[in-house]
Amino acid sequence: MSIPEYTAPTTLDEALGIKKERGAEARVIAGATDLILRMRDKVFSPSVLIDLRRLSLDGIALSDNEMRLGAFVSLSKVLESAEIEQLFPALAAGCREFAGPPIRNRATLGGNIVNASPAADLVPPLIAYDANIVLSSSGSERVLPLLEFFVEPGKSVIEPDEILTEIRLPVMPPCSAATFIKLGQRRSMAISLVNLTTRLSIDESGAVSDARIALGAVAPVPMRAVAAEQVLLGQELSEELLSRAAQKAREEVTPISDVRASDSYRLEMTEVLVRRALLATWDELGRNAADG
Amino acid sequence: MAEMEIKFDVNGKQVRISAGPDKTLLHVLRENLGLTGTKDGCSSGDCGACVVMLDDRPVNSCMVLAPQAEGSSVVTIEGLASNGELHPVQRTFGETWAFQCGFCTPGMLVSCYALLESNDNPTREEILTAIAGNFCRCTGYQAVVKAVEQAAAELRAAKGGAGND
Repeated sequence: MSIPEYTAPTTLDEALGIKKERGAEARVIAGATDLILRMRDKVFSPSVLIDLRRLSLDGIALSDNEMRLGAFVSLSKVLESAEIEQLFPALAAGCREFAGPPIRNRATLGGNIVNASPAADLVPPLIAYDANIVLSSSGSERVLPLLEFFVEPGKSVIEPDEILTEIRLPVMPPCSAATFIKLGQRRSMAISLVNLTTRLSIDESGAVSDARIALGAVAPVPMRAVAAEQVLLGQELSEELLSRAAQKAREEVTPISDVRASDSYRLEMTEVLVRRALLATWDELGRNAADG
Repeated sequence: MAEMEIKFDVNGKQVRISAGPDKTLLHVLRENLGLTGTKDGCSSGDCGACVVMLDDRPVNSCMVLAPQAEGSSVVTIEGLASNGELHPVQRTFGETWAFQCGFCTPGMLVSCYALLESNDNPTREEILTAIAGNFCRCTGYQAVVKAVEQAAAELRAAKGGAGND
């Protein structure tokens, strides 16, 4: 690992200025829990590292209809937020099952996204909650749906002069619930074989008004099983309906075989886990209704 | 590559070292400061042998670049004892035989210390969660859980005692 230059700017403008000047040669460093490994393996050999820790990008702010999370928010900080636990419990669940406490204290939401790993644990819950991300560059910024960020494993649409600065989550409609499930070879310190989040919103008549099935590690990039979501839309919830949606999701994924699992196992597990997550989400909806 | 001057607190003392930005906090603790209690296990953030407290949170010191620690406060295994007295969880590790080879012990102890700093009545589940990032390949985890439970009971008793004075 060789790092010729290291800087910790005190303003975002300064950081973006360096990015503008040095482009892809300049890499942003946040929690570094993945970056250090990639630099050691020479996947990345940046000429300068830009440390974001002085930029106060670790805020969590809730307005009437949106939560804004700084890209530098650590997973531990997510878990300490009562608002996230209440409004976006599947995101908290994803953080809870992420690595172990020492990594969660350093790893950031922004890092988990920018890595563009197909197996990133926090991406399915964020996609299921319709997350938008803010990509800042010198003098401008663009906001795009997280789902559109990923291109291929390790590759995203981020430009060499851009820094991911914020994640925005719309507050969910009243009758909504979501479930995160991660399948790994053990509970801690495991890379997911399959990870997913299902979210359902229902209207007054009990019909599904909105559905999200977001999956990781079963395609080159994190994805939504859109056809499976269509199966659910406008329908009354039933076990048969949820099973049908899960079967549909299985048809939409394109997993590969690797050291962790075979493609056929991932296919099988996609159906099983989507069904299980949808059942849990339905259960949660019932409980929320009973509470309300 | 140019070395940088980096200042931070280690075990309550301010230190100033010179290191390249490619050096990890683990490296400077061991090589620049001679604090070899913290161990280098996997060097990839998986095993937890290198866990230290960084600004009151346990972290893998192999996954922190030295300049990221600038201005921070670090506590290593060498800093858990105070005034020549072991921290209760260090003592109960000995009493319950919570280690054999001892290689994971410094990191394991720092994670347990971090838990007890915020929670002196942890459940078994909370203890297992706190050490989920620390691998032991010989003793196992049961004795560690026992050691933490025992230390927690001592800490509560000490606090209760102080309250009655």
